[in-house]
Amino acid sequence: MDINTIKADQTLDTRGLACPMPLLKTKKTLKGMQSSQILEVLGDDPGSKNDIPGWSGKGGNEFLGMTDTDQGYTRYFIKKG
Amino acid sequence: MAAGSLIASVKEEARKNYIAVFEQDWPSWLAGIFIALLALMIFLWDAPWGIAGGYKNWGNWVLYSLGIFKDKPFAPWLHPMSLSNFGIFVGAFFSAMMSRQFKIRQAPPLEYAKGIVGGILMGIGAAFAGGCNVGGFFTATGMLSLGGIAMMVGLGGGAWIGLKYLLWELEHLPAKPLSKKDGSGPFLGINWDRVQPYIGTGVVVAVVAAFYAYATIDKTVLGGLLFFGFLIGLVMHRARFCFVRAFRCPFMTGEAEMVKVVAMSLIIYGMGSAIIKWAWIKDPMMGVYHPFFLGSLVGGLIFGVGMILAGGCASSTLWRIGEGHLKLVMTMIGFALSNALTARAIEALNLSDRLGKGIFMPEVFTWEVTIPLFIIFFVMWAFIAIWNEASEKFVIF
Repeated sequence: MDINTIKADQTLDTRGLACPMPLLKTKKTLKGMQSSQILEVLGDDPGSKNDIPGWSGKGGNEFLGMTDTDQGYTRYFIKKG
Repeated sequence: MAAGSLIASVKEEARKNYIAVFEQDWPSWLAGIFIALLALMIFLWDAPWGIAGGYKNWGNWVLYSLGIFKDKPFAPWLHPMSLSNFGIFVGAFFSAMMSRQFKIRQAPPLEYAKGIVGGILMGIGAAFAGGCNVGGFFTATGMLSLGGIAMMVGLGGGAWIGLKYLLWELEHLPAKPLSKKDGSGPFLGINWDRVQPYIGTGVVVAVVAAFYAYATIDKTVLGGLLFFGFLIGLVMHRARFCFVRAFRCPFMTGEAEMVKVVAMSLIIYGMGSAIIKWAWIKDPMMGVYHPFFLGSLVGGLIFGVGMILAGGCASSTLWRIGEGHLKLVMTMIGFALSNALTARAIEALNLSDRLGKGIFMPEVFTWEVTIPLFIIFFVMWAFIAIWNEASEKFVIF
């Protein structure tokens, strides 16, 4: 799947936040979403590059991928399980 | 093979290794082994590794300069823990430069406030426990001081309380994301991504030069501490090694990864120090002064809340500053000042006797029992965390 064509149902902006806030917010936002909806997370903490893919691959959710933007932050895509 | 293609293949090999060492994150278990070994080397080289004492030295200096404290503290460049702390910062800065990850990282106002409050709480907790997550927990446990275990319990409780607060905050204080100006244009017209590794190389040269400079003025021990700190900072940044996770993740995501790593690291550290102490290579009572159990337990509890608010403990505050996080600069300032003040207050009020005293595990359990008990205890901790990962029994939301 081409990451740039994914259409997210919801976007969560965690730019400027550092560990553990991005992951905490991601977990909380996903909880409020419906199964098979897609969440896009924006973040610029280097720690998130391990945390978000590592965590969201577990517990029934699916990590769809991530991509760096020219503005220095990363976009992550997670599908709620 | 033609000379041209040989050079090309050496270059290619160097490039691949550079990426493996400086761009890809190291696995945390590898960092766990390195940190235990480096901590043992610091013990053999000089005295058990700690961090809060360095912060306290910095706080004392500020308070002395303001005229609040009358007695002149040790100069920071002659204070052992101040130097190893500075080494951790420099090591992380070097690593961030080599991996082109250094950036001045701003945060929303609420995060700065949490950074300061977290730092203040950690400073108070560390003063009560006779050390931070390193000196009061990691090294204390490694040195077979029972206070380390009491602080571990406190840290777990504090992490739980801190996480409850963060969840409350998410409901009640929705933070506005930092509005980013688009395009991180070249600062001073320099392409920093290209320049960073050269600055990093300069930093290594400076650290090695500093070691020899210390040696020439007969302070080789201090130069060595700077260098060991540098290695710890490098390892911690490369693996993003964070003690906080071992206490937070079981409640937050259920992940057991860092519990396993810290448990393994402590088994290496504890058994290494058992060899050193049982054989009397170093005085067995070295590093055994943590106030068991009240000081360590209560200090751990306060410290645990603080490290969750700050998003970093004593060690990860240093390496995250090396990566450019301004929030943790606030944390460091709060930590240094509150630790110096609280330590002074405990002294003035004569509280130390009531907080407890240092207890050496082999003195209570004998060497023969301490060693298996120590190993079983940390293996059990790891197994409970693994069970929790599957059952999510302790996950609070």
